[in-house]
Amino acid sequence: MIDFHTHPVLIREFVEKYPNYERSARQVFNIGNNFQPLETFLLQMDVAGIERAVLLPIDCRRARKDGVSSNDQVAELCQMNSRFIGFASVDPLRKGAARELENAVKKMGLVGLKLDPALQNFEVGDKRAFAVYEAASALGIPVVIHTGMSWAPETPLEKGQPLLLEPAIRRWSKLNFVLAHYAWPWVWEATALALKYPNVYLDTSCLYYDSPREFFQSVFNKQIPTTVIERSLRNKVVFGSNYPRVEIKNMVHALKSLELTEGCLNKILKDNAKRLLGEL
Amino acid sequence: MIIKLERIKIQTRKSEEAIDITAKVEEVVGKSGVKNGIVHVLTSHTSSGLLVTEGIPCLEEDILTHFSRLFPENESYHHRRYLDYDGRLGFNADTHLKSVMGGISCAFPIENGKLVKGSRQTIYFMEYDGPLERTYFIQVMGE
Repeated sequence: MIDFHTHPVLIREFVEKYPNYERSARQVFNIGNNFQPLETFLLQMDVAGIERAVLLPIDCRRARKDGVSSNDQVAELCQMNSRFIGFASVDPLRKGAARELENAVKKMGLVGLKLDPALQNFEVGDKRAFAVYEAASALGIPVVIHTGMSWAPETPLEKGQPLLLEPAIRRWSKLNFVLAHYAWPWVWEATALALKYPNVYLDTSCLYYDSPREFFQSVFNKQIPTTVIERSLRNKVVFGSNYPRVEIKNMVHALKSLELTEGCLNKILKDNAKRLLGEL
Repeated sequence: MIIKLERIKIQTRKSEEAIDITAKVEEVVGKSGVKNGIVHVLTSHTSSGLLVTEGIPCLEEDILTHFSRLFPENESYHHRRYLDYDGRLGFNADTHLKSVMGGISCAFPIENGKLVKGSRQTIYFMEYDGPLERTYFIQVMGE
């Protein structure tokens, strides 16, 4: 099983090594949990039955002074353990962002792109972002893009509206867009985009009230029928936990509490992620 | 009067587990130089615990099983809400309640430099919300 949405922001080994790492976790990403040794991350994967996890950095240095993990840190973690799958993040408004992405993929071995319009403070329709979409498309990598609500400070909701992405989704039809957090609260808009466009995927890393199990019942059973995922989006949804904002095991349990068939769960927990990563 | 405090880190490996720390407490007491006094053991977390019972696997399993029966994960809890100081939701009320129920500390006398306890008594660090690296305190006081 693969977790397509984690953030390596609480790695104890990085606190002393990287001077701004702690400030970034506390003030930019906004998480209060204790820093933990890397071993804890791997054990959290183990108890959840997760074999590999996608690590997502966010290059928000221009907008927030510090980034949320860096491409170098992600690449370092991937070197330390083969269970990690590293994505890169670049700031679309900085000159040379496309070249930086190309280097991250070709030289550092990172295999996807992470963008967060709210935290990075850019408009997805800004022409300066087009070069980054173009580069990602040419490189054949997926882009995980934050949609929906964010718990990070100074992140306006309006930047998370998934329909803002439609022009880019249409123009870069070979580029696979993974709409993170299922774009909650805009789950119908996100569902419509995934139904309509072959290059739109959705990840499950959403938890905004109650417990993971209650939230999943509320969103994936009442807000939209579970049958939409079972019948129409079984090839378009990937499991993501958003660890460490949520423990991975709780999100796996929540997903499995939905009335999805074993075949559909296998696609969400493994096959769809492998296809996005070019492994199928 | 000697007062010594040790902060012990322990890496738990499961969601829930009972870890025997008796030997560690005896080791700290032995090294403290205290001949007659008291040792106090305390977890530093609110979703883990410290308790004393007979050191056999069946009881370890019974404690965890019946704590889960008393405080089921899927019960309704007020704690399931956004915690602004953590930047995330709290949905682990069950683990906090287990910690409250089982307790977070224990104390034993020290006599002639050794822990005084019943032959069946075992000191456990209780993980209710792992796996995590945890910290517990052992404080030895006496002469």
